[in-house]
Amino acid sequence: MSAVVEHSLTDRPVLDPALAPPFPVAALPVLRNPQLRKNVAHAIDVIQAKRAHLVAEKTDWQELRAAASAIKDEALAHLDAYLTQFEGRCTTAGGVVHWAADAAEARRIILEILREEKADEVIKIKTMTSAEIQLNPYLEAAGVRTYETDLAEIILQLGEDEPSHIVVPALHVNRSQVREIFARKMGLPDLSDEPKLLTAAARNYLRQKFLSVPTAISGANFLIAETGAVVIVESEGNGRMCLTLPRTMITLAGIEKVLPRFQDLEVMLQLLARSATGERMSPYTSLWTGVTPGDGPQKFHVVLLDNGRSSILASKKERQTLRCIRCAACMNACPVYRQTGGHAYGSVYPGPIGAILTPQLEHLRHAQSLPFASSLCGACYEVCPVKINIPEILIDLRAQVTDQERKTVGKFFDPMYVGLRAANVIFSRAWMFHAAQRMGRMGLKLFTRKDGWIHSLPSVGGKWTQTRDLRGLPKETFHQWWKDRGQSSKGAREHGSEAR
Amino acid sequence: MSSVADSRRQVLDRIRAATQNSAATVEQVAGAYEALPRGYVRHGTMTVRARQERFIERLREYDAEVVECATEELAATIAAQLAASGRQKFVAPAALPAEWLAAGFDWKIDRGLAASDVEQCEGVLTACFCGVAESGTIVLHHSETEGRRVITLLPDWHLCVVRASQIVETLPEYFDKCSEQGSEGAREQRSREQGSGELPRLVTWISGPSATADIEMTRIKGVHGPRFLHVVVVEDRDQGLGTRD
Repeated sequence: MSAVVEHSLTDRPVLDPALAPPFPVAALPVLRNPQLRKNVAHAIDVIQAKRAHLVAEKTDWQELRAAASAIKDEALAHLDAYLTQFEGRCTTAGGVVHWAADAAEARRIILEILREEKADEVIKIKTMTSAEIQLNPYLEAAGVRTYETDLAEIILQLGEDEPSHIVVPALHVNRSQVREIFARKMGLPDLSDEPKLLTAAARNYLRQKFLSVPTAISGANFLIAETGAVVIVESEGNGRMCLTLPRTMITLAGIEKVLPRFQDLEVMLQLLARSATGERMSPYTSLWTGVTPGDGPQKFHVVLLDNGRSSILASKKERQTLRCIRCAACMNACPVYRQTGGHAYGSVYPGPIGAILTPQLEHLRHAQSLPFASSLCGACYEVCPVKINIPEILIDLRAQVTDQERKTVGKFFDPMYVGLRAANVIFSRAWMFHAAQRMGRMGLKLFTRKDGWIHSLPSVGGKWTQTRDLRGLPKETFHQWWKDRGQSSKGAREHGSEAR
Repeated sequence: MSSVADSRRQVLDRIRAATQNSAATVEQVAGAYEALPRGYVRHGTMTVRARQERFIERLREYDAEVVECATEELAATIAAQLAASGRQKFVAPAALPAEWLAAGFDWKIDRGLAASDVEQCEGVLTACFCGVAESGTIVLHHSETEGRRVITLLPDWHLCVVRASQIVETLPEYFDKCSEQGSEGAREQRSREQGSGELPRLVTWISGPSATADIEMTRIKGVHGPRFLHVVVVEDRDQGLGTRD
C-alpha cells in the first residue's frame, strides 16, 4: 500500500461546511491521489452502466419523472398541510412526533429520548440527515455509543473516515483498505480481502448488537402524510434489523421527505432504486406506521427536521432543490465528482445536488465555493428522477454568492470587481467601448508570442492563463471587418475585381 | 416542553411564510393533488402466463430459487423444498394452512416468539400478499399467514408461497390491489373518515435476498437478512387448472 493511500485514510476529511476549505483547495489532495480516483471512477462506472440499462427498459421513464416532480412540488407547495396530516396520523398510530427547528434542537431531542430510555448504546441505519446534524460525535460525547450497521458506514466508522457519496458512502475505499480496517478494529489479523469474507465479518460483528441493543435510529426515504407511515429503502437487511428488533425506534427525517399519499410510492419506488443502484427495486423496502402491537418496536419517535429547509422553499426556483430523493444519480453522472470524489465538497451532500443544497442549508454563509464546482454540462439534470434543474440553480447561486461578495469591503478594491465596475461604465457607451477596445488590443499585443498565442497574463488575467492559453487577437475586430467589407465589396462591384 | 411546541409553531410559520399559504388542510388542497399528471404505465399488457414467467425470471436474476406446482401438489412441493434445504428447524406464522407444515421437521409456530427463539430457527415458511412481475418483488403485509416481520428476517432461509393469481405485472397494479383489498376487508373495522384505515400498516417489499455492493461494487448475496430466498409459485388460476385436468 502506498504512503499516499495511508495518508488519505488517516487524514479525516472535513465535512462540516463551516470548517471545510473551499472546493478548489479541498480537491487538490484527491487529484493527487491516483488510488482514490481509481476507486471512485470504478464504482461510478459500475453503477452508471447498471442504471443506464434499467432506465432504458422503462418506456415510461419520462412520464414517471414528470409525475414524481409534480408530486414533490405539490407536497412542497402545501408542506404545512401534509406535515400536520402526517403528524396527526402518526400520532394516532402510536408514534410521537417532534419538531426540530435546527440541528442543535434535533440532537437535543434525540439525546433526551435516549436518556429517557436509559440507552448507552444505539444501533443506526444509514442516514445522511444524521450526518448532516453531526449526531454521532454529539451522542458519543454524551456517553452514548453509536453503532453504524450499513456495511459502508461500518467501514467509515471503524476507519475513522467520512462518507464521500450519499448512496455508497465508502466507494472511495477499496477491498484491501477495508481488509486493513476490519483486521485492525475487529481483531481479525488473518482476514482475507475477498469482499464475500469481509461482508461475513461485518455480519458476525453486528449480529449480537442487533439482538441486544434496544434502541435504534434511522433516517427516512419517505414519510406518507395520508397514513403517517415511514418508508426505508435498503439492500442489506440491517435496516430491517434496526426497525424490527429494538424496543424503541427514533426516525430523523427532513421536512421535505413527506409525500401526500401511499399511492405516490408507485412512482417513487420505480425511480429510486433504478436511479440509485441500478436495480429494479432495492432488495428490501420497509414501511411501518406508528406502533404495531406485538410486531416491532413498541415505542416510536419521529423527529421532523427543518435546519434551513424552510428558507429554501421561499424561492420558486430554488424550491426544486427539496424535491431531491437522495438517489445520487447526479453525482454518478457528474464529470467533476468523478475526478474529485465526495470529500472535496466539504459536506455530507457532495456532487451536483450537494453543490446546490449545502450552500442553501448554510444560508450562503458557508460553502460559497460549491456552486462554482461544476462545468454546467447539464448531465445531472438529465439523470435526475425528480427533474431538478441543477444547472439553473447553480447559476442562480453563483449570482447570489457574487452579489454577496462584492458588497464586502475587502472586495471593493479587488482587481476583478474594479474591472467589472469599469466594464459596466464602458460597455454602456459605444465611443468608450471602441476606445477601450483599441487600448486593449494594443495592450494584448505586448503579451502575444510569435506563435500567435498568449501564454501568460498579469493580475486577474493570469487566472485565465494559469490553466489555458489564450489565442492572440486577430488583425481586425468584427466591426472593423464589417465596415471595411462594406467598402471593399462596393469597391469590388465598381472595379469588378478582388471579391473576398 | 414549551420549547418543543414553539419549534413546531416556528417551523410551520416559516413554511407558511415561504409558501405564502395560510394554514390549509389536505382536504382543501385535494383538488391540486388530483390534478397531478400521471402519464406513466399503470396496467401491464402481458398474458397471464407471460406475466408469471416474467415474475419467475426476475426472481431468478436476483438469485432466488423458484419452483412451480399445481395446487394439489403444493404440500408435497413444500416438503421437498424443506428437505432439500438440509435444514431441520423452521418457524411459521400462526395461521398457515396445517398441510403446509410438513411432517419430519421441527416447527415453531409464531405466537409472539422472542427474537432469540426465532434466531434459533434455520428457516421460515410464509405466504405473501402479492408478487410484482416487473421487478420480481414479493410483498408482505405481515398478516397472519405472512407472519410478523421478525420471522422473515432472522432465519437464514426463507420459503415463500406465491399463488399465481396473486401476481400482478406492474407496481401501480399492486397499489390498485391494496385499495381494492381495503374496500372489501378492513374497511368495516375502521372508520371511513380516518381515510387511511384501508391501507396497510406494515409492508415489506422483498426483491431478492439480502445483498450489498459496498465493497468495490461487487455484489455479495447475504448480509443481514435471509441469505437464501426460495419461492413456490402455485398454479391456482382456472386456466392453469384447466390445462392440467
